[in-house]
Amino acid sequence: MSADNFLEVRGLKKYFDVGRPTWFSGESRSLHAVDGVDFTLRHSEVIALVGESGCGKSTLALLLMGLEDPTAGTVTFEGRDITHLDDHQRKDLRRKIQMVFQDPYESLNPTQNIEEIVTEPLAVHGIANTPDRDERVKKAMEDAGLKPAEVYLKRYPHELSGGQRQRVVIAAALVLEPEIILADEPVSMLDVSIRAEIINLLAELRITRQIAVIFITHDLGSVGFFADRVAVMYLGRIVEIGTMLEVLEKPQHPYTKALISVIPVPNPRLRHERIILQGETPNPIDIPSGCRFHPRCPVAFATCKVSDPPFVTLSKTHQAACLLLVK
Amino acid sequence: MKRWRYLSGKISWALFTILFVIVLNFFLFRILPGDPARAGVRDPRLTRENIEAIRVRYGLDKPIINCFESLNPVKIGSCVVNPLDTQFFIYIGNLLQGDMMISFHTNRPVTEILSERLWNTVILIGAGQILAIIVGVLFGMFSAWKARTSLDYASLTISLVAWSIPTFWLGVILLFWGSNNGMPIAGMSTPGMSSYPLLTQWGDIARHMFLPTLTYTIVYMGEYMLIMRSSLLDVLSEDYILTAKAKGLSIFQILKDHAIKNAMLPLVTIIAINLGFTVGGVIQIETVFSWPGLGMTTVEALNRRDFPVLQGAFLLIAVAVILSNLLADLAYSYLDPRVKTE
Amino acid sequence: MEAQITTTATAPRFQEFWRVFRRNYMGLVGFIMLVVAIFVALFAPALSPYDPSSTLNVTTSDIYNPPSAAHWLGTDDAGQDVLTNFIFGARVSLTIGFFAAFISLVIGGVLGIIAGFYGGRTEELIMRFTDIMLVIPDLPLMMVVIALTKPSIFNIILVIGLLYWTTTARMVRSQTLAVKSRKFVLRARAIGSGKRHIIRRHILPLVLPILVVQAVLVVSSAVLAESTLSFLGLGDPTALSWGQMLNYAFGRGAMSTGAWWALVVPGFGIVWVVLGLTLLGQGLEQVLNPRLDTHHLMPGRPVVRNEANEDAEKPTGKSPLLEVRNLSIHYINEGSPPARAVENISFNLREGELIGLVGESGCGKTTLMLSLLRLLPSAGQIVNGRVIFNGRDLTALTEDELNSVRWSGISIVFQGAMNALNPVRTVGEQIAEAIIKHLPDFPRESLSARVVELLDLVGIAADHKDHFPHQYSGGMRQRAMIAMALACNPQVIIADEPTTALDVMIQAQILELLDKLRKKLGLAIVFVTHDLGVVAEMCDKVLVMYGGVTAEYADVDVIYNNPKHPYTQELLKAFPDLTKPKKKLSSIPGYPPRLDALPAGCRFAPRCPAAFNRCHTEQPSLHKLGDGHIASCHLVEASK
Repeated sequence: MSADNFLEVRGLKKYFDVGRPTWFSGESRSLHAVDGVDFTLRHSEVIALVGESGCGKSTLALLLMGLEDPTAGTVTFEGRDITHLDDHQRKDLRRKIQMVFQDPYESLNPTQNIEEIVTEPLAVHGIANTPDRDERVKKAMEDAGLKPAEVYLKRYPHELSGGQRQRVVIAAALVLEPEIILADEPVSMLDVSIRAEIINLLAELRITRQIAVIFITHDLGSVGFFADRVAVMYLGRIVEIGTMLEVLEKPQHPYTKALISVIPVPNPRLRHERIILQGETPNPIDIPSGCRFHPRCPVAFATCKVSDPPFVTLSKTHQAACLLLVK
Repeated sequence: MKRWRYLSGKISWALFTILFVIVLNFFLFRILPGDPARAGVRDPRLTRENIEAIRVRYGLDKPIINCFESLNPVKIGSCVVNPLDTQFFIYIGNLLQGDMMISFHTNRPVTEILSERLWNTVILIGAGQILAIIVGVLFGMFSAWKARTSLDYASLTISLVAWSIPTFWLGVILLFWGSNNGMPIAGMSTPGMSSYPLLTQWGDIARHMFLPTLTYTIVYMGEYMLIMRSSLLDVLSEDYILTAKAKGLSIFQILKDHAIKNAMLPLVTIIAINLGFTVGGVIQIETVFSWPGLGMTTVEALNRRDFPVLQGAFLLIAVAVILSNLLADLAYSYLDPRVKTE
Repeated sequence: MEAQITTTATAPRFQEFWRVFRRNYMGLVGFIMLVVAIFVALFAPALSPYDPSSTLNVTTSDIYNPPSAAHWLGTDDAGQDVLTNFIFGARVSLTIGFFAAFISLVIGGVLGIIAGFYGGRTEELIMRFTDIMLVIPDLPLMMVVIALTKPSIFNIILVIGLLYWTTTARMVRSQTLAVKSRKFVLRARAIGSGKRHIIRRHILPLVLPILVVQAVLVVSSAVLAESTLSFLGLGDPTALSWGQMLNYAFGRGAMSTGAWWALVVPGFGIVWVVLGLTLLGQGLEQVLNPRLDTHHLMPGRPVVRNEANEDAEKPTGKSPLLEVRNLSIHYINEGSPPARAVENISFNLREGELIGLVGESGCGKTTLMLSLLRLLPSAGQIVNGRVIFNGRDLTALTEDELNSVRWSGISIVFQGAMNALNPVRTVGEQIAEAIIKHLPDFPRESLSARVVELLDLVGIAADHKDHFPHQYSGGMRQRAMIAMALACNPQVIIADEPTTALDVMIQAQILELLDKLRKKLGLAIVFVTHDLGVVAEMCDKVLVMYGGVTAEYADVDVIYNNPKHPYTQELLKAFPDLTKPKKKLSSIPGYPPRLDALPAGCRFAPRCPAAFNRCHTEQPSLHKLGDGHIASCHLVEASK
């Protein structure tokens, strides 16, 4: 393990029980939300986890945050196994890994003002009475683009715009001086004209504060300019991972190819043939046999139904799980 | 499959609740102060032997349940009693045979008294409930449709006032009014009516029913109106109403095909939940109008400290409410497709 | 959406609350009624004409005396002054009401929060117990318990308190669950907050409003319960409550002596208090959980037309299928100036054409779409302009005439298909309904076949015809919505953000379907979206809206490759383009204007990088740049 693997995820799985067995049906089924995910994150790296709804990306985020317990697998942070921690250790770790949520309307308590929201993490960790508290709050807010901080302190969430609220959420994360920020669809609820400012803000933070970002999104288009690496998820697994340019310009997995082809290009002169997959993502309760993508795969062949494809290494940084790539 | 599970779940839950009520009913009368035998037969002429004889007759000499001689005051007894020889299991056993002891007051079997009175109450609740629902739902629909107009505010005010009037007081006032206007004021028939033709008898009962039913209707329509109004307002601001409007359907068609059924769904649940309160209203109405139903029986038994009747009436009322609730649940599952199918 | 934001975002701070509450007549009247009652109870000795404890010199002639100068409200069965007893009765009734309510609120609140927050077995146990308590008829149970114990004030308070917590527990639990599922609680956990911290800082403040409303309602139930028990002879014989007064009067011949005052007065007291509390509860509920009380069937506002503002220039050549001319829409709010939601919008749609209507949330695009078929909410009013469809001005038609155009001429595919389909009717029924309405001669026996044919057209198997919307997946619902829109062979379909909530692949499927249908059936489509990419892929012409006005209107190629309006230019720079992955995205500073506070000049000026003085004072007009290209910007005029 290289020294730079500061977050390492190995074989992570999360199954949810659906339908407890009752007197009337003895069948207990499980939903395979995350089904064996491996990846690593380096210092101040931005990795994008891309996938459609039901691919397990949000569950993966909760697992990484320790807000759900994994069924199997390990998460190592700075060489320490953080998969199973007691409450005390978990709380300490929270200062290092913070999260930003999709809906800034929902992720702020309407009864707290901005000062209370940004100070709360310090209070929870018992560092609210230090003399540099105000300084710290102010810095976090200004780093999050709420300048000057004094203007915002006494205001309530409903007095702010969507973009400003998302900045408040980011400020409340920054105040603990985290090393990783997990951003779960942070811009999908925002208007197009202000999405870029939140993405740019996250991109700046990795430079000014050396924060690594795990950026979870359904929109491949929005990860383009700032992700170092992209991981594409399908039905609980990563099917392709590589640097941003490798994935966007030389996609190898048929799912990635289709996903990229259907992303609308804002130029009518570049209208192109799209690979539109038929049907919908299967229910994660009944995972297809063999390659889990085979029922929708435009290039599937007989073996795909029975054989689960291994990860094929295409370059030092690029891997994909498809039988067509197995030489 | 899903529906069967839903139904069987509801039915077994209702059975469990009935069991709970039976147990509660038994212990309530034994934990709270007041020896039933002494409280029930307060005749000072009774000798010690008389009282003992009554205790034996009602089985009160037996231990309440294994290990407990009595519960108030708590008296620990032997645990190796034959369970079938304890008050609790005798009570359960009798209950299973439909036997609810004998009235202290009239010496008639409680089951007999209650079964006479039950139907009178059912008639009263049935008529009142149907009228209250019809009037309340119509007013509520009208109010929602005309939301924020003076008509809406007027019907809202009437409903809120109706909701705030104590049932018994409304009954008293109507009775007062009725007695000055030649309405029958007590009971459910005029004495000596049995010699008249059946139709005349029914007419007589209907005249007696008028004021109690009116009381019931006024008291409960207010609540149904408020619920229907807010439920219909919710439905009418749903997107599918906009779809229906965009389809070119007339207002009448939209109300008929898209709004009313959807708005009635919450009402079914509320009516079921309210049945417990409804019983309270019926007790008051029956008391005021001397309507010979379960409610009046309960109050009479209470005043005479006739515990077997009181116990039986309480059990019967509770079981009736539980079963009606079950019925409402079953009705709901027919009305709402989301319960039926996955 | 808008309403939801206001309800969830309103911080329950006191001044704010009082400001809104003051204007709520219902709540205010209830509050005053309650204050009067409490005042009477507190100052009973000072207010009452007699001392209730003195029963001196009562003779039979004092019984049931009608109201007189000595006894304003007459005397009762014991020859006592009814007014005095009435005033002192307030004390008993209110004391019992408040104390009993307090007990039940504490029990219900604690159980509700524990059940909602901890969930699992604890919740199951508590809620099952609550269900049982709820189903047991409370009055008989109270009667039995009081009869077996002693009817004292203390016992009555205890019994009511111990039995009236069930609704509170249920409400508090569901509110706790709702709050707990909100993201800020998850965020609090992510910060590292413990359970007690979360309950204290995040759950309680949002449960409290519910508890306040509930408290008011429980007090009224408790007052009612006490009076009922007293009336039935189970009240404390030493304390003369209103219910007790009625019990004595009713039981001791007030009815036969015609002493109406002994019956009316105490009842009036109960109604006063209970009605006051009910009104207060309703008022609080309205303030703390505001609902708009508007719905889709409310009559719309009449169309107003200002002929002077109309474009003199009539379109030349063949008239288009759908022509929107100078359309303006205001939202009318009592007491404040109208919100100018849409102003002076014009566009044309020809057969088989697909026009994209692009704008950010709140730019008025949905308002514009709804106004075409006059489906605006009741506050919306068309204040100028025409909508000409097949030569008929839709703004001049009666509601009945309009109903014949709706769906058969122009149909709509709504944004959220889940909500746009009626959950309790099958998809097939809902499609057939439109056919029956508009094609009354359509043979009933082939109706089912037609529905199957329509479903097949959008790629849904025939056996789904009799399924309910909740049995469909999101993508299928949107397909069903499209099938429904096609049912009466319309010439125009308005698609209002039809793919917004869908995954990219499903979105691509739906877009492909719309495109295919358009070519196959020769449909003209108005496609409303915020997604510039989708517009570029599909549309012939684009109308870019900003803050309710046209920013730019042109052929799709012009919009993307030669945009003239700074808003269009900036929006394109903010939109990610996969073909240029390394390009840094730029954002437009600030945020769109609020409709009730529009800037004086150009609506985009506060955010515009190229704005100059004139932009802040003067609204630009629509400048024609040839080839149907229109932009409303002072810069365009300068360069022309």
